Amino acid sequence: MQENYLAKWLNNELTEEELAAFKKSDEYASYEQIVGASNSLKAPEFDIDNALEAVKNRRTLNEPKVIGLKPFRRFLKVAAAVAVIMIGSYFYLNTLDENFTTQYAQSKEVLLPDSSKIIMNADSELSFSSRKWDKKRNVSLNGEAFFKVAKGKRFTVSTEQGTVAVLGTQFNVENRDGFFEVTCFEGLVSVTYKGKETKLPAGTSFMVIDGNIVNAEKPNSPMPSWVNKESSFKSIPLKYVLDEFQRQHNVMVETQNIDLDKVFTGTFSNTDTDLALQSISVPSHLKFKLEGNKVLFYAESAP
Amino acid sequence: MNNDTKDNVCNEEVYSELFKANSKTVFNYIYYKYGNEEKAYDAVQEAFARLWENCGKVAPAKAKAYVYTIANNLYLNVLKAEKVRLKYADRVKTTDHETPEYVMEEGEFNKKLDNALNGLPENQRITFLLNRIDGKKYAEIAEMEGVSVKAIEKRMHLALKSLRDKIEGI
Repeated sequence: MQENYLAKWLNNELTEEELAAFKKSDEYASYEQIVGASNSLKAPEFDIDNALEAVKNRRTLNEPKVIGLKPFRRFLKVAAAVAVIMIGSYFYLNTLDENFTTQYAQSKEVLLPDSSKIIMNADSELSFSSRKWDKKRNVSLNGEAFFKVAKGKRFTVSTEQGTVAVLGTQFNVENRDGFFEVTCFEGLVSVTYKGKETKLPAGTSFMVIDGNIVNAEKPNSPMPSWVNKESSFKSIPLKYVLDEFQRQHNVMVETQNIDLDKVFTGTFSNTDTDLALQSISVPSHLKFKLEGNKVLFYAESAP
Repeated sequence: MNNDTKDNVCNEEVYSELFKANSKTVFNYIYYKYGNEEKAYDAVQEAFARLWENCGKVAPAKAKAYVYTIANNLYLNVLKAEKVRLKYADRVKTTDHETPEYVMEEGEFNKKLDNALNGLPENQRITFLLNRIDGKKYAEIAEMEGVSVKAIEKRMHLALKSLRDKIEGI
């Protein structure tokens, strides 16, 4: 029998004599059985198309060639443009000051970046730059607001009429037409009015009416009264009192035969319009007529 | 270099043809060798991905040997230790008029054959299964393995011999 005759046998390469001799041998039957059984063996499933697809997908992932890259380039261009616009607008918006306004009969609390707090009274405008806040604590104010300033660098409130500078304190600034008042409730406030600096220790006020510095009454509360929904006045000309009433109650005020420079001392509610009207009219000996959104004050003696 | 000519592996058609002709055998080859289906699948992926990367350098005639070499080298040192346990897809029934005794005997025999196959040396098992399952000629197997036809015949002969020894319990 030749070398590797089993392999030859499977390949039908045995000579007739060899085959005949092999078939007569004892082991032939078991070889026949092994080969027969192995013919029914099958390898595990292998999906050629799926595998090809997978290879192609993988190929495009680490594709070194340029073909598939062009649409991506376009996407990159768009993405770059979008990124530039977004970054640009981010910086532009950042440079813009933050603005807050209150309408008539409205008050608002504003928290500053250093957790200083501002309570804005009605019809007021406030702006500051939160981006530059770390370098310069500056707030522009038009109207009236109460400040609770966290300790830190110089804190300034700029108004058209004067500048208020503090380090860390609580104070009220009122900046209305012809009327400028700063009241210090805690700490020390420096007010610069027409280039002249005035230091206000706690519990004092600085008041300017129609361009004249007036000796103001000392505040007797730790906070301006409006924070507690009341407006208080001490020897204040009636026109400013009525302006404030108009702001707090969103009611148009008209007057007839009234001396608006007469001073008023008293308090009115910022929530109850009827009560407020009584509070103003009774001590000033005035009468009033409330019609919808308008109120007319007139002298008692007038017809 | 012109990538579009028909005798270049970089040509999509040529590449797909090569894949369709050889991937299944590469898969089976690695499977017979290590008995790990997942690794066999990965080997196909890896080998053909590398073929694409080097499509300009490999002539279509050499591509087959190339993918076998890659697939073969992939697990050269990693998988040696694992014990081979081949599983086969459902066996093809050869006849359908069988006595229960025959079915049982056949089952017994198949189990013995499986065990014997698992116990074969790696190169004998590959040769035997590539020939029996995939119908590969000795010459083709020799090309895959990079040895002579005579060496393959030897492996085939020894494979049959040791299968019989193991099944008969000699």
